[in-house]
Amino acid sequence: MSGARDGRSALRTAFVDGREAIMARHPAQFRPDWRARAGRVALAAAVLGLFGFGVVQLGFTPAMLAKGAGRLAFITGLMLPPNPETWSRTVLYLHALGQTLGIALLGTLGAAVLAFPMGFLAARNVVASRALQLLTRRMFDTVRGVDTLIWALIWINVVGLGPFAGVMAIMTSDFASLGKLFSEAIEAVDRRAVDGVLAAGGSRPQAVRFGIIPQVLPVMASQLLYFFESNTRAATIIGIVGAGGIGLYLSEMIRTLEWQQVSFLVVMLLVTVSAIDWISARLRHAVIGARPI
Amino acid sequence: MGRLSSQLASADVGHLAAAYDRAMAARRARTMLAAIALVLAILLAGIAAEVRPAVLFTHIGNFGSYFDAILKLDSGARVWTSPADWFWNLATWLRLMAETVLIAYVGTLAGGAAAFVLSFVASRNLTRSAMLRGATKRLLEFSRTVPELVFALIFVVAFGLGPVPGVLAIAVHTMGTLGKLFAEVIENIDAKPLEGVAAAGGSWLHRVRFAALPQVLSNFASYGLLRFEINVRGAAVIGFVGAGGIGQTLLEAIRKFYYSDVSALLVLMILTVMMIDYGTEKLRHRMLGESAR
Amino acid sequence: MLTVTGLTKRYGATLAADRVSVSIEPGSFVGVIGRSGAGKSTLLRMINRLVDPSEGSIAFAGVDVSAVRGRELRAWRRRCAMIFQQFNLVGRLDVLTNVMMGRLGHMAGWRAMSRLWHPEDRLIALAALERMDIGGLAAQRADQLSGGQQQRVAICRALVQEPDIILADEPVASLDPRNTKVVMDELHRINRQFGITVLCNLHSLDLAHAYCDRLVGMAQGRVVFDDVPAALTEGVARDLYGLEAAEVLGGHPAPAPHGFAHADAQAATQIA
Repeated sequence: MSGARDGRSALRTAFVDGREAIMARHPAQFRPDWRARAGRVALAAAVLGLFGFGVVQLGFTPAMLAKGAGRLAFITGLMLPPNPETWSRTVLYLHALGQTLGIALLGTLGAAVLAFPMGFLAARNVVASRALQLLTRRMFDTVRGVDTLIWALIWINVVGLGPFAGVMAIMTSDFASLGKLFSEAIEAVDRRAVDGVLAAGGSRPQAVRFGIIPQVLPVMASQLLYFFESNTRAATIIGIVGAGGIGLYLSEMIRTLEWQQVSFLVVMLLVTVSAIDWISARLRHAVIGARPI
Repeated sequence: MGRLSSQLASADVGHLAAAYDRAMAARRARTMLAAIALVLAILLAGIAAEVRPAVLFTHIGNFGSYFDAILKLDSGARVWTSPADWFWNLATWLRLMAETVLIAYVGTLAGGAAAFVLSFVASRNLTRSAMLRGATKRLLEFSRTVPELVFALIFVVAFGLGPVPGVLAIAVHTMGTLGKLFAEVIENIDAKPLEGVAAAGGSWLHRVRFAALPQVLSNFASYGLLRFEINVRGAAVIGFVGAGGIGQTLLEAIRKFYYSDVSALLVLMILTVMMIDYGTEKLRHRMLGESAR
Repeated sequence: MLTVTGLTKRYGATLAADRVSVSIEPGSFVGVIGRSGAGKSTLLRMINRLVDPSEGSIAFAGVDVSAVRGRELRAWRRRCAMIFQQFNLVGRLDVLTNVMMGRLGHMAGWRAMSRLWHPEDRLIALAALERMDIGGLAAQRADQLSGGQQQRVAICRALVQEPDIILADEPVASLDPRNTKVVMDELHRINRQFGITVLCNLHSLDLAHAYCDRLVGMAQGRVVFDDVPAALTEGVARDLYGLEAAEVLGGHPAPAPHGFAHADAQAATQIA
């Protein structure tokens, strides 16, 4: 044991002997890099400063946070246990849930049907006209910049209150997002398949049909399933503005402070979304697995 | 040419053709089954979502005329003929738009910070206790499955109207989504550095700081910026339920048929979203480029 | 003195280590040999506690370290440094910071987290790097170095821990012959100069013969040989390696340890 101790001090001496020489050989390591450090500190200060400014500007105060947290805890207590109270309400909620799923499904499919041709229009390797592409892309960006809820409000003006407006809203906002993703998928295809069809004397439409579509279909299907998942979530809140589905009841119950019903609805929602996620993960696996891309 | 194909055809390929047909028939049967299931689902969804194509056809004109209406001033002139009248309330709207972006910023940063801490706890390769990990994962799952608008509705009751519940709702939802993504990034890092730091006597914090963080930081920042983009869109509508930002004003304008205000607000919103998309994309490219060096 | 008694590791039904008992004298250079999957790596990992033993005890200087946790575990790991086959550096960090990982056990918490290293720690790290002829690489990112350079950085990291023992898990298995010699020579030099015990897993018998004072042979998780290298006859080796024997025995001629004749080495040990 004592041998090891001696050994260690020998080690230390061996290292620190010639300290001046080491410092002279590595000046950069001993000169604090103030410029890099100052840059990092300034960035952190800017990020946190804006955060602090926001917190003050938006009206956060410790007193209100404490009071709100207390009230939130109280509300959470009132939510337990989840309880729909009557059977007729349960049936009503289940119907609304079915409506939500219907909105999500039709919205997604409708969006896909619209996005499919538009995706080709916006793809660099299909359409020769640069202007047409840019125009389509700009249109996608503009439509995407408007939230689904806003589209729902607009569609309510057209087809009236109810789930149909929700379907149209999801269709409108997703068709732009899907169109953008589709065009990216199309641009990412392997060129050789297209060249193969063209080299065999195929026309351009034939090249698209046999060279591009088989490659992008699985990718699109997988993206579609993702969108269906996220649309199930979107469709739950669309009812808040009157476009059908479970959101209507959710917001109503919160406004009338029926907390046990609120928690029941939230549990229903959690179960449904998890189930959809599970199924769509399965399907996605089947689609991608069956046809490796 | 003709002789070649006739020679090819004269070869005995009958059994091959039959096998090909059988394989195709099996595939076709599967596809048919899936198609029937899909059609059934669409019909069911159509009934649930009260899809009324007739209504759409009779009122589709309203969609066009709605956009026609919002692009007209009260005087009947087109909005762009008199920008001053169109954006008559610009100062207020810009302030509200800034508030919206600030809500998104504070919410993203707060939620991102929480996600950052929790993601390390939720990762298999950094947290041994299955209990702790499972509890964290459930918490993240809950906060990402419940839509942020539902959180906002509840928080408005607890904290009162204004931007505070909006920020909190965005923060909670961001914590859920980013926490999941962050944890996935962490679980995919190279384990060898973790072992190296641990074997040298490093603590849990040392392992996180020196072995995990350098591997995940650029990915985290990129995901965080993407989330900020999404949250700006979210913050724009969170005012629908009274949780601050420009949404409240937009909702009023749509509901009360202040037509030209609707288009002015939409234009502001789309421009802001595009600007932020552009800015974050630049930042992300710069960061990814830097880490690639 | 490091004493391992009845050390066992079970993974489900398979035994990775089966009642391993060995004592390692301070200041010795011990090789652990055996074919792949014999449990050599598991043994070293259990000693450093990267793997928790299922049964048995590890004692160092009379203190049981087989179940220590938290601060005490980190203190133990600080005293028994580890060198890996794949170097296990943090590729995205610079070389100096990687070496500094070995100093974590010696410094205040806030210094580490803010990377404001004490000049003394920098000095020690740079001295270690210069000793390995890679002082000039201090500011480079670790993943831009060659395998041999990375392993030298890893040795520096181990050295600046000021350990009592160095555990080297196949330190040269990923290196070319030239770097193999550099790394083994350095382990040898550390052992002789500072009296740090080295426990080294080796696949190659030639290297084991050339560098070790004592060999521990393992097969199927058990210790089946424990003696001076000279006692390892070809017959024993064949038993130990089975089908791999041809590969290990017929290999390259052993490089002689650089700069140390065996007698000198013995003298150095006595002085220490």
